[in-house]
Amino acid sequence: MTAFVVKRLGFALVTLWAVLTLVFFIVRVLPGDPAQVILGDQATAGAIEAMRARLGLDRPLAVQYAEFLFGVLRGEWGVSLVTGRPVLVEVMSVLPWTIELTVAALVIGALIGIPLGVWAATNRNRLIDYVTRLASLLGLSFPAFVSGILLLIFFGIQLRWFPVISAQSGSLSAWFLSLALPALNLGLIMAAYITRVTRSAMLEVLQEDYVRTARAKGVPWRAVVWRHALRNALIPVITVVGLYLGVLIGNSVLTEIVFNRPGLGKLIVGALNQRDYTMLQGMMVIYTLVVIVVNLLTDLAYGAADPRVKLK
Amino acid sequence: MQKRWMITAALAAAVGLGTATAASAQQTTLRVGIASADAGVLDPHLNSTTPGRGFLQWIFSGLVRIKPGELSPEFMEPDLAERWESSADGTVWTFHLRRGVQCHHNFGEFTAEDAVFSLNRAATRETSAFSSDYVAFRSVEAVDRYTVRITLRNPIPSLLGAVMNYAGGFMVCKAAVDQMGNEGFRRRPIGTGPFAFAEYVPQQFGRLVAHDQYFRGRPQLREVLYRFVPSDAARDLAFQAGEIDMIYGRQDQSWFTRTQQLPNVRVVAMQPAEMSVIHLNMTMPPLNDIRVRQAIAHAVSREQIVQLRGQSTSVAARSVVPAGYLGHHENAPLLPFNQQRARQLLTEAGHPNGITIRAIHTTLPGMMSVMEALQAQLRRSNINLEITPVEHATFHQQIRQNLSQVVHFQSARFPVADVYLTQFFHSRSIVGTPTAVTNFSHCRVADQEIDAARSETDPRRAVELWRTAQEKIVNEVCAFPVFEQLQLWAYRTTLDLGYELKASLNLAPPLLHTTRFTR
Repeated sequence: MTAFVVKRLGFALVTLWAVLTLVFFIVRVLPGDPAQVILGDQATAGAIEAMRARLGLDRPLAVQYAEFLFGVLRGEWGVSLVTGRPVLVEVMSVLPWTIELTVAALVIGALIGIPLGVWAATNRNRLIDYVTRLASLLGLSFPAFVSGILLLIFFGIQLRWFPVISAQSGSLSAWFLSLALPALNLGLIMAAYITRVTRSAMLEVLQEDYVRTARAKGVPWRAVVWRHALRNALIPVITVVGLYLGVLIGNSVLTEIVFNRPGLGKLIVGALNQRDYTMLQGMMVIYTLVVIVVNLLTDLAYGAADPRVKLK
Repeated sequence: MQKRWMITAALAAAVGLGTATAASAQQTTLRVGIASADAGVLDPHLNSTTPGRGFLQWIFSGLVRIKPGELSPEFMEPDLAERWESSADGTVWTFHLRRGVQCHHNFGEFTAEDAVFSLNRAATRETSAFSSDYVAFRSVEAVDRYTVRITLRNPIPSLLGAVMNYAGGFMVCKAAVDQMGNEGFRRRPIGTGPFAFAEYVPQQFGRLVAHDQYFRGRPQLREVLYRFVPSDAARDLAFQAGEIDMIYGRQDQSWFTRTQQLPNVRVVAMQPAEMSVIHLNMTMPPLNDIRVRQAIAHAVSREQIVQLRGQSTSVAARSVVPAGYLGHHENAPLLPFNQQRARQLLTEAGHPNGITIRAIHTTLPGMMSVMEALQAQLRRSNINLEITPVEHATFHQQIRQNLSQVVHFQSARFPVADVYLTQFFHSRSIVGTPTAVTNFSHCRVADQEIDAARSETDPRRAVELWRTAQEKIVNEVCAFPVFEQLQLWAYRTTLDLGYELKASLNLAPPLLHTTRFTR
């Protein structure tokens, strides 16, 4: 187990270096000039050149790259090219918002998706199965910004249960009210994924010999499904959740924009639009770390879900 | 049972009392919703974005200002300077400052030293996006603690425009920059305006508090919350739900009409309009032939574009300098919409089967819809406009690299013809040169008039020169204007701005010390 974790951390460092190098060069190859973005459309060519020099963008790429890598090693993330605010402060100020939204969406997705998937599988080709499949298909194909607006109109405007601007804080109730709708919006999409994966994994497991044996031995159906079958069907579900969680952090940008919530996704899009190289680099470090940690946790979860899985 | 009723009645009374108290309490926090995820760098000399300028104008003052709600420089009035005078030849200007003006957060009195520091900072390329506005400044000096003297190399059309509460003219407090450095100042901007910077939460809001020592008086609003709400739909919903009191509107007619129907809401389409102009690169064939450029201009109906954009929110352009600017030519000889003449001109130019021209264009939806409408109009005259959509930052870089035959540009500038003409049509501003700004057409026909008007001391003669310059540019078809898009804002009728909002050079309504909620 320890060897496994150490080995994975070794891979993680190499992955991190590769991602940082790629991001460093890709953002600089992209057309668009941060100096132009900062100075706006009335700036002269001379002023833009002066700004590029002030930002250090006129130096050779190799020098900039070396400085960037040494900075990362020293834990220095620099300041945003556009706003002048420290990258780490900006990233850390939105990271908790992203984590809480992602975790809440995951919880909602799992709470709805797993029972629904099991229910559909155990009622294969009956009405409930068709309805579940249709609903999950709808969840997958519904754009997050449309469902977000609909939720806002219904719960924010008609019923006035929740605030439209979700970035509220101060008290526990304000926190809950601000988190509920965005988490529901993302959670429903996640539930659709989990339902479909759980259903297909359960259908496969329910055909297995040990399920038939358990039933033949007279184990109650409920125990067969929830104790024997679901435990074995969880591995693909965990895989999907792990993969999707990584995607969710970046993909939550639409939900963040519609519900006016801070978050990593929105910060990435803003930095990309403004060609804020240092901000993009800083966020990529965080994003890569999160994906690596989630993957590591997913691998560890396999062992917890299925004792036959040995982590080496 | 009776006890239960008594509790219910007590609760109802408490709720009623609470409501009554809340109803009688006057609102003192203004919540503004802006269409952006961020205000950008909080330095008035660097930030030229719409959300940034809107926010910073409430923090900073100028030596002078245009009367709130107005646009034209003819409404110039004192701000930090209580009076000023200039030499007969217009090269030496002396400003006499108010006494006792206090910088925010106890950074001391604003004096001539601060004004000198601010103007020199605005004129420095490393610290200012507007340094080119100050090339005519020879020196800025403090004559005494409350007197500032500006000496120019040559007279300029609007010196007051360079020292007003706009762009490089915003006055910063020297002690704050000295203490915090430029980087620190950008995280905690210090000015002398009615509202002082309190905090900035990225992606959420910027918060200002009343500056009780503001020289015009104690602000009635106690707090301003500037919320970043990039989604148009979310901003509208938050406004409807009462979570925001004032919003930046989506720039189209449907938004204007729908928002106007909301109860207790005032919708304003204000100046300055952003003028949409099509620049034709005269160095690239087939646009190097004036007949082709004339054909393109004839093929476009400005009235149809205005119908598309909305009659309440846009107006057809009349010249290559927007309406309302000092020196605007209201009867510039723009070519009329005439498809037959367009085809005839193309045939004369040796293109009987039509032409294909290419434009690199931003993906911003508001601008793209106009360009697509133009594309459809041009097609009817055998002109095939190929549009290459690129993301906005790429657009700005590539059009400055001279990569696009046709450039669609939408902008507002300081309302004096000189600024627009110099940046878009003077040969010094041709893209791809060291002094480039935004002359995409490579136009150079009106250099003489533009230069002469800049040093002309007779205002009437300057206006004549600007009019001649516009006629020459229009006749040469370096570019042709399409329409002017007004700035749309909505706010609750309970908000009394303290003036009539017709325009704001900083693109957001000014907030005064008298701005207040009536309830």
